[in-house]
Amino acid sequence: MILDIFQYDFMRRAFIVGILLAVIIPCIGVIVVFKRLSLIGDALSHTSLAGVAIGLLLGFNPVLGAIAACLLAAFGIEAIRKRIPRYSELSIAIVLSVGVGLAGVLSGFVKNTANFNSFLFGSIVAISDFEAALVIGISVLVFLAFLFLYKELFYIAFDEQAAGLSGVPVRLVNTIFTILTAITVSVASRTVGALIVSSLMVVPVATGMLLARSYRQTVILSVCFAVTSTVIGLFTAHFAGTTPGGTIVLTGVMLFLLALLAKKAAGLAARRKMKGAARGDK
Amino acid sequence: MQDEYAISVKDLSFGYQDTLLMDHVSFSVGKGDFAAIIGSNGTGKSTMIKLLLGLLIPTEGEIRMLGEKVQGPTHFGKVGYVPQNGGSNASRFPATAMELVMSSLYPQIGFLRFPGKKHREAALLALKQVGMQSHAGTLMSELSGGQQQRVMLARVLVNDPAVLLLDEPTVGIDAAAVASLLEILHTLKIERKVTILMVTHELYSVAPYLNRVLCLSDKNFAEDEIPEGILVHAHAGVHENTHEHVHCAACEHAHDPGHCSACEHIRENGGAL
Repeated sequence: MILDIFQYDFMRRAFIVGILLAVIIPCIGVIVVFKRLSLIGDALSHTSLAGVAIGLLLGFNPVLGAIAACLLAAFGIEAIRKRIPRYSELSIAIVLSVGVGLAGVLSGFVKNTANFNSFLFGSIVAISDFEAALVIGISVLVFLAFLFLYKELFYIAFDEQAAGLSGVPVRLVNTIFTILTAITVSVASRTVGALIVSSLMVVPVATGMLLARSYRQTVILSVCFAVTSTVIGLFTAHFAGTTPGGTIVLTGVMLFLLALLAKKAAGLAARRKMKGAARGDK
Repeated sequence: MQDEYAISVKDLSFGYQDTLLMDHVSFSVGKGDFAAIIGSNGTGKSTMIKLLLGLLIPTEGEIRMLGEKVQGPTHFGKVGYVPQNGGSNASRFPATAMELVMSSLYPQIGFLRFPGKKHREAALLALKQVGMQSHAGTLMSELSGGQQQRVMLARVLVNDPAVLLLDEPTVGIDAAAVASLLEILHTLKIERKVTILMVTHELYSVAPYLNRVLCLSDKNFAEDEIPEGILVHAHAGVHENTHEHVHCAACEHAHDPGHCSACEHIRENGGAL
């Protein structure tokens, strides 16, 4: 029976954590994509590895190290972005370089490499009670913040200057969003993997954008696609014996390709219908 | 009397780094005026709009908007701003016309609050004002350039502004869409006494609706000193719209179209009137 996997405690936990992350990561991803900062997830998750290494070296929980490193990186990106607004994407590349460099150097000193490597591709089925509680707490926080700041985030993502002119506290909202992004990425790095988290942030949003007829629909569809790919990915990983993080992301890419084909097919059908109607008129 | 004017600028100077762009500029725009800022590229037209909005701080001088000193972007909703290429930028964002107009209601809704029925009705009304209510649920990317620009206008109208600042709103849209946009602005000026200040390079099409033209050149405004070619177009507008006159030196003699030497001149040369 396919549902037998729920008899395992670690699988139940993996599903709960995975679905919660699948709800909040696209919420962050939508804003990140529309602010044209799609690669921010990559920069933060790679920097989180430096925090993981520091945590492992100094003997405290690596997830907390990842959160601290992500926060520093996120504020670093914002600070650089403000100084070179015309080339804001460079800020991500610079922080990404720092993160990768630091993680590379520090990982050389880590004795327990298996623990460090678990952050590269994640280990959603091996997370501790503390980490599960952290994900649940952060998910609730991010979801509520996204809900209450929905119109502010929408406005800033659309036009930061216009938002400021309308009285939106742009700096405050951006700061809150930066913190939420950093903690989401660092926690997700532990579960789905630092090398994969940015894909979860972008791929479901790209799929949602293909089919949505409004911003609101884009958000809802992105979350739906992320949850679907997480559930399918976890089942597939369990039965096929593959890495859960990678399987979830590959499932997400499959859904994107299917949506792309569906959209193309719908476009062709609409064109045929229009041609048919035009012939009928003649 | 400051309050006679919607916009009042006194001895304003501004520059970027070592380059002085405006040198002791003074001008005012009366309440209910429909004025245009013209001038060559790089003379600081868009910069002036940003100064008026409080997005830039002048190095010297004072700006007053609706009687209050401008010290930053504080006239939330009272001053509407339609940016350059606003419509085409909006088309890259997967939002509907309604969603974009709703977002502009922020000054009325407030921080951490949710929009209600009255806000949705206000957004629909603003779209109706620009003839776009039937496209409320349409994605911006699926609208034409002219329709996108009308939605951008609805975004500012939804707050019932007293002043409208538009930065080249007619760029990239066809003649019919330009005419439609200008008619909407004209109606706003007549019916709601909205003060309109528009940066434009297309004085020919805008002129019939204007009652002020401010020409920015040589780091200052020169009202009534409009480049000759543009002035001719401005005159053309005077003839086509008898209830509005372009406020320039030559215009004062242009009450009778048949006797306007500038227009006859351009007709003889096959100019586009």
